[in-house]
Amino acid sequence: MRYSYYPGCSLEATAKPYDVSVRAVCQALDLGLDEVEDWNCCGATSYISIRELTAFAISARNLALAEKMGNDLVTVCPACYTVLNKTNIYMREKEDIKKTVSEALAVANLKYDGTVKVRHLLDIIVNDIGLEKINPKISQRLDGLKIAPYYGCQISRPHGTFDDPEFPMTMDNLFSSLGAEVVNFPLKAKCCGGMLMTTEPEEGVNLIKSLLSCAQDNKAELIVTACPLCEINLEAYQKKVNRKFKTDFSIPAIYFTQLLGVALGLPKEKLAIGRELVSSEKVLDRFYGGKR
Amino acid sequence: MSDSRNTTQKIGVYVCDCGSNIAGMVDVPEVVKFASTLPNVAIAREHKYMCSDPGQDMIKNDIKELGLTRVVVSSCSPLMHEPTFRQAVHDAGLNQYLFQMANIREQCSWVTEDRIKATEKAKKLVAAAVERVVLHEPLKLKEVAVNPNVLVVGGGISGIEAALQIANSGKKVYLVERSPSIGGHMAQLDKTFPTLDCSACILTPKMVQIGRHPNIELMSYSEVVNVSGFVGNFKVKVKKKSKFIELEKCKACGDCEKECPVERDDEYEMKMKKRKAIYRYFPQAVPNTYLIDKTERPPCKITCPIEQDASGYTALIAQKKYQQAIDLVRKKNPLPIVCARVCYHPCETACRRGDLDEPVSICHLKRFLVDWEMEKPEERYKKPEIKDERKEKIAVIGSGPAGLACAYDLRILGYQPTIFEELDVVGGMLHTGIPEYRLPKKLLNKEIDRMKDLGIKIKTNTKIGKGITLGSLKKQGFDAVFIATGAHKGLKLKIPGEELSGVFDGVEFLREVSLGKKMQVGKRVAVIGGGNTAVDVARTVWRLGAEEVNIVYRRTIKEMPAAAHEIEETQKEGIKITYLTAPLEIIQKNGKVGGIKCIKMKLGEPDSSGRRRPVPVENSEHEIKADMVVAAVSQAPDLSFMDPGLQLKVSKWETLETDPLTMCTNQEGIFAGGDLVTGPATVIEAIACGKKAAISIDRYLNSLPLDSKPIMEAGLGKKNKEDIPKIDVKEKYKDKPRKQRMKIPSLSIKERVGNFREVEFSIPEKLALEEASRCLQCGPCVECFECARVCEAKAINHSLTDQVVELDVGAVVLATGFDTYDPILAPQYGYKRYDNVLTSMEFERLSHAGGVTGGRILLKNGKEPESVAILHCIGSRDENANEYCSRVCCMYSLKFAHLVKEKTPATVYELYIDMRSFGKGYEEFYKRLMHEGVLFVRGKGAEITDVAEIDEEKGKLVVKCEDTLLGMVRRIPVDMVILSTGLQPQKDVTEVTRLFTIQRSKDGFFLEKHPKLAPVATATDGVFLAGACQGPKDIPDSVAQGAGAAANVIAMIDKGVVSIEPIVSYIDPEKCAGCKLCLTLCPYNAIEFNQEKKVSQVLEALCKGCGTCVASCPSGVPIQYGFRDEQILAEIEGALELDKISVNK
Repeated sequence: MRYSYYPGCSLEATAKPYDVSVRAVCQALDLGLDEVEDWNCCGATSYISIRELTAFAISARNLALAEKMGNDLVTVCPACYTVLNKTNIYMREKEDIKKTVSEALAVANLKYDGTVKVRHLLDIIVNDIGLEKINPKISQRLDGLKIAPYYGCQISRPHGTFDDPEFPMTMDNLFSSLGAEVVNFPLKAKCCGGMLMTTEPEEGVNLIKSLLSCAQDNKAELIVTACPLCEINLEAYQKKVNRKFKTDFSIPAIYFTQLLGVALGLPKEKLAIGRELVSSEKVLDRFYGGKR
Repeated sequence: MSDSRNTTQKIGVYVCDCGSNIAGMVDVPEVVKFASTLPNVAIAREHKYMCSDPGQDMIKNDIKELGLTRVVVSSCSPLMHEPTFRQAVHDAGLNQYLFQMANIREQCSWVTEDRIKATEKAKKLVAAAVERVVLHEPLKLKEVAVNPNVLVVGGGISGIEAALQIANSGKKVYLVERSPSIGGHMAQLDKTFPTLDCSACILTPKMVQIGRHPNIELMSYSEVVNVSGFVGNFKVKVKKKSKFIELEKCKACGDCEKECPVERDDEYEMKMKKRKAIYRYFPQAVPNTYLIDKTERPPCKITCPIEQDASGYTALIAQKKYQQAIDLVRKKNPLPIVCARVCYHPCETACRRGDLDEPVSICHLKRFLVDWEMEKPEERYKKPEIKDERKEKIAVIGSGPAGLACAYDLRILGYQPTIFEELDVVGGMLHTGIPEYRLPKKLLNKEIDRMKDLGIKIKTNTKIGKGITLGSLKKQGFDAVFIATGAHKGLKLKIPGEELSGVFDGVEFLREVSLGKKMQVGKRVAVIGGGNTAVDVARTVWRLGAEEVNIVYRRTIKEMPAAAHEIEETQKEGIKITYLTAPLEIIQKNGKVGGIKCIKMKLGEPDSSGRRRPVPVENSEHEIKADMVVAAVSQAPDLSFMDPGLQLKVSKWETLETDPLTMCTNQEGIFAGGDLVTGPATVIEAIACGKKAAISIDRYLNSLPLDSKPIMEAGLGKKNKEDIPKIDVKEKYKDKPRKQRMKIPSLSIKERVGNFREVEFSIPEKLALEEASRCLQCGPCVECFECARVCEAKAINHSLTDQVVELDVGAVVLATGFDTYDPILAPQYGYKRYDNVLTSMEFERLSHAGGVTGGRILLKNGKEPESVAILHCIGSRDENANEYCSRVCCMYSLKFAHLVKEKTPATVYELYIDMRSFGKGYEEFYKRLMHEGVLFVRGKGAEITDVAEIDEEKGKLVVKCEDTLLGMVRRIPVDMVILSTGLQPQKDVTEVTRLFTIQRSKDGFFLEKHPKLAPVATATDGVFLAGACQGPKDIPDSVAQGAGAAANVIAMIDKGVVSIEPIVSYIDPEKCAGCKLCLTLCPYNAIEFNQEKKVSQVLEALCKGCGTCVASCPSGVPIQYGFRDEQILAEIEGALELDKISVNK
């Protein structure tokens, strides 16, 4: 099965490890990825709140390019996932938006007929490939590893297409089947603050502290996430949180594809493990004991 | 063009303004003017409200004074007022079907904004009606008699009300209720709003009235399974599920419940308590009797060829009731000491525990029992009672398990069986086939001695067919014969070298060893075959001193017929098994066996037994060294007992042919069973044959028909798995801790060498108790029969079956009630994740004096809550769940607040969106709660979390909500959360709508005829609705609807007849070709085929006038009264006439 791949801007920069591990894991699972050529930013940042119509147009450009390739479009950044899906829905339901955006695309000799299905890689791995097919490819079980799977707020909301909007379980199920102990983590779908660390850092730090507290209270050794912004929020500001709240958090947060890659037996470099701000070495090295 | 122009008809046309509904869009005077120009129109008038009395009088007067012969009214939809105007026409003395309505409102003035178009269309519609009505015929209403009995489905409060009202009017009511008792959800409530009456106190008097009413036949634990017929004449099939209790005898004393070992979640108590498999639905149940839950049926009993009560004795062992357990075993099994050691236990293969981890070791548990009995046999072995002695003698030929079982059962029935055994020893294969280390002869003989003790005569060293012939037995005074001589002739290998010295037949070899003969055994023994005989031979030969034993089998271990356990022991004893190898020739060496030339096999296509046929692999010949070869490749019966005078039928496998059900041969009075009939099979299957034959012989000797099914219907151990209900074991029993099955203590390999000591020994009590507790008790009733034992009223009967009865009724009232929303679908509320989050029904049971805490409001940890939050609208008014409002939740939430306030000092929060307190006394109740100090928060509860943000929240459940009056988001920490879950349709509404041919509205509840004017009727004549099944409602409204439905029914029945619209279809028998196409197409099954005349005919009472048959008949035969082709064509022409005129202009 081949899919068109839309990495999104953050995967080129701060979330590079996500992109690297996605490609490595997809290769190991025989999931063909074809990057959309000349893709542009999806407009997921503030743009959609400031100039909605233009944001839809630039988002639709990606869809138009993907439509030419014919396959489902897979992305991993939940913000891109939400915006691209939103574009699809609005183009389908609102005539005026469809008309304007189509005119804009036409200028670039593009058109979009609304046929691209935008999917998240987590959905594809667990539901298209399936846990039974993944199991035989696992060479390193994650027994004894206590993880807190953190979904954030955009992967299953608002549409809840592949998981429950309030209480998602896809990552929980994936990693329990690989032997990991998924701790009780009731805040798994609660906001990390998103952009707040740039606009209202005092509020942002409160939200991050709640998440880290909950993970620590439930004895998680590792937070596993599916969103570049959540990941950076969780790991980059632990010192700030510690200063404000007199806590001593030091919990590594990595991408779900990186942990899946560990279970598939892929080497650290191939998964870009080792570049974290809060090192995952102590937690993950037991799975690389003697292995290279 | 129709010839309606030149008639003597006088049509009156009346155009209605309908206030401004029509006149506001249509130019009515112009339409009237136009109408008066139409052919045959005698008068055209306008009126503001045609349906009013003056309007109707206008029509009546014109008919009388102008002698009108036809009437057209152009107004609203016929669904509104066709009956009104038809009545007016009828009252004036004109046939009511000489009338046509033109809908110039719903189909004209209401659907356009264009006055000109509206008027044009109105004119066309009038012209169409005028053209058509000329061709109307004076049809007659048909009347059908109404059966005065009534069916009420559902025994909740509205069903109870309907049933009582109807029964009080003198009519017979069948009240069908699916649960074991009537009462419905109201019976589960603690108090009712707004009066705070105790629910049971106001409900139970009515329930008792139902139970006592001479006109009400209550069918509880029953369901409607089929409905046919039409209004006034319904035929309804009801399945009455067996309660396994003789209801008139049960006094509900509860002794049975105390003894029952099986516990289940109590559905009435919302699974907050446990009940037993034998239980009473609740203390005030009507009927007030117990019932036994056998909904899932344990597969172990069903798969056993003799239907041994495996689950029963397992449960008794778990309760240390060993005497009852062994008594239960011996009730059906005459040879338990044998079976406990050698049975192939199909029960274990079927055991549902096997779907969880491993099956229960049922066979070993039986072993435990027989060993326990053997410790003190004088005390613990109960000799069976023989009630009446009978003089009839039966000859049983063969003392194997089939013969012994048959003789035993016949003896218990009082007969005089004599067993003729060819050998010196008794037991057949039990003695000569099964080696000592599996079944010690001493124990086998003990069982046989007990049989002799009962009076069963056994004549050893007596061969039938040698001296005594089969045919002569009758002359000797035997009234029946049972032949069970088994299959002891080993089949030949059919390869060269078979005649060499050192080659033995397996069955013969084992027999010689069992008779005590000293057998020479080679150093290297090869055993050919893969069944139990081969394995028994191998293990025997090993014990007799062979150094190397090799079983040579032509397929793989998967296909080996020998018991898996035996194969395991064989391998443990160091015996080699060579798979996929077949012998070609036995090689000679010094005049004796030197080895076997073999060839490798591979598996090809499956053969008739389902196993893959072995196919030789080319050029793979090789030699296996051996100095002794034993052939164990199946057996065939020895037919030397046959009497040439009696032509018994023999199959091509040399087995005797019998009727599989009755065990009777083709000769009267001669029966046969066991391996003789089936070919080599197992001990338990042979015992089953013997038992079936005994039943047949008993019938034969009493001159009863043989072919009525025997009580024991299990086949020869190959019962259909389809008969066993499929349960998702992993899901249903997911909380059961996993545990491996027991390992029976056995001799170590060293201890087995060179002797025939029994390998397995007795099981310690502790191990047996642990194993018995592994049983899931999946019946749930395990049929241990303890309840029957202690019931003084002798009311329990485990053999009762479900019954299907057919009822004739004239009307049906559906009062099937509601289900509640399951908040597991809204994970943000933490239902089942957090303790102390309850649904409304669960809270009702908590607060109820009969509930799990005796009526105290307690948290899971046993303490009283300090604060409680009640969340309204869970699952209601919700686009993600049910859009409608459930109507009762606001009031019951207030009631809950009151109950908490009354019983605890807790702070109570009510989180609401709107307060719907619309009924009598409801607003006052709301006010009262405000005075009681309940804190009202206007905002739907959004989420429940246990993650504390501040110290006050630690250890609490935090309710997050938006307080819309304060304009802020709040976090309210509480100890207990009650989710006011909404009402929704029952899970099986689709089946019910199909059964009764009714519809559902968008919200899923049953669709009423008209939401405002006919809330208790349906579009299906004769079927009425009452209560929450029509839409969420409270008790007063449910009772009102019950009474309303009753009134409808009583009116219908008292009238005695029901009018059937004459717009039915008619098939001319002269023209019908008999192709039957219409039969298959009629959606109401209203056409039947007349076999004599070979034509289709319409059942007028069922015909709804849909016109499908008329349209589809290839010969165009059926006509529909009131909708004949000419009439429809005239209508079309009338409508198009206007266009013709304007075109021509």
